[in-house]
Amino acid sequence: MVEISRYKWPLITVVVVIVALMFVIAVGFTLGFLSENPDGLERVLIDINGEEWLENLISPWIPILSWVTNDYIAGIIGIVLSIAIMTGVFYLITYLKKRDTK
Amino acid sequence: MHIPDGLLDPITTIVLWIVTIAIMILGYFRMSKMFEKEDSEKMIPYIGVLAAVIFAFQFVNYPVPGGTSGHLVGGTLVGVILGPWASVIVLFLILVIQSLFGDGGITALGPNAFNMGIIGGIVGFYIVVLLVRLFNKTSLKKELKVTIATAIGSYIAIVLASFICGIEIGIGGAIPMEIAIPAMVFWHLIIGIGEAIISALIVFYIYKTKPDFILTESILGVE
Repeated sequence: MVEISRYKWPLITVVVVIVALMFVIAVGFTLGFLSENPDGLERVLIDINGEEWLENLISPWIPILSWVTNDYIAGIIGIVLSIAIMTGVFYLITYLKKRDTK
Repeated sequence: MHIPDGLLDPITTIVLWIVTIAIMILGYFRMSKMFEKEDSEKMIPYIGVLAAVIFAFQFVNYPVPGGTSGHLVGGTLVGVILGPWASVIVLFLILVIQSLFGDGGITALGPNAFNMGIIGGIVGFYIVVLLVRLFNKTSLKKELKVTIATAIGSYIAIVLASFICGIEIGIGGAIPMEIAIPAMVFWHLIIGIGEAIISALIVFYIYKTKPDFILTESILGVE
């Protein structure tokens, strides 16, 4: 049986992070502390080669979550995936490292 | 600074993939002894939380003058918290998730992890170590030494990563190197300020609330 109380603070923190992110997305553009402008690398590429050139770069795949266009849903999916993958990989790492040291 | 698919040439991409994978394997063996302790599992939920925080901060872009935006990369930040070797693995995994949304290419995962995880994480971390040892000669409080060193280390690492990224783009031939390097460095000299502030605030917060989560204190040599 998983002892939920042991994970109380991590769970609370994750909920706080999600709520804070949703709030930031909701008001960030209005208050001006968020921006949809291109980042540094995109800026350089657009300035020199143009936006169309950047959009037409060849990729071997269509990103499997590119259909998620809603920022709120993308934020939640990303956070949940980050937690799941990171905890899974680090459980595996600690398990393997302990096994190797025995 | 997420390199998209199709920007770099195949040789540069393959070489950076090989270097990144080699360093991740080396990283597994050199990772903090913390992960070998009996009670190390108790750290894992916090690593999950850290991943959530990094993803959330990378998700939101803050405005930068000149019609550009910036976001946290977090390599040096993760390096200071979990150690330089773990930071490469953490950044690689975050980049994998972002590539699923189309932020950064799937073939460019190796180069992106090299720039943000290895330059940002490992090189940035050792800049922080150097700075902390310099600050040990001052009367600053322990948490301030690490916080200020993290801010400066993050800043230098992000600018250095942009310089390296400029070289990679130049080799790839998309933009001449003499244009790519100064342009990348120029924008990241500005964007890096945000990286430094956010990284420093998170490290300071952790020092105040859960200092034992900074796994690198012994390596940092903070006195």
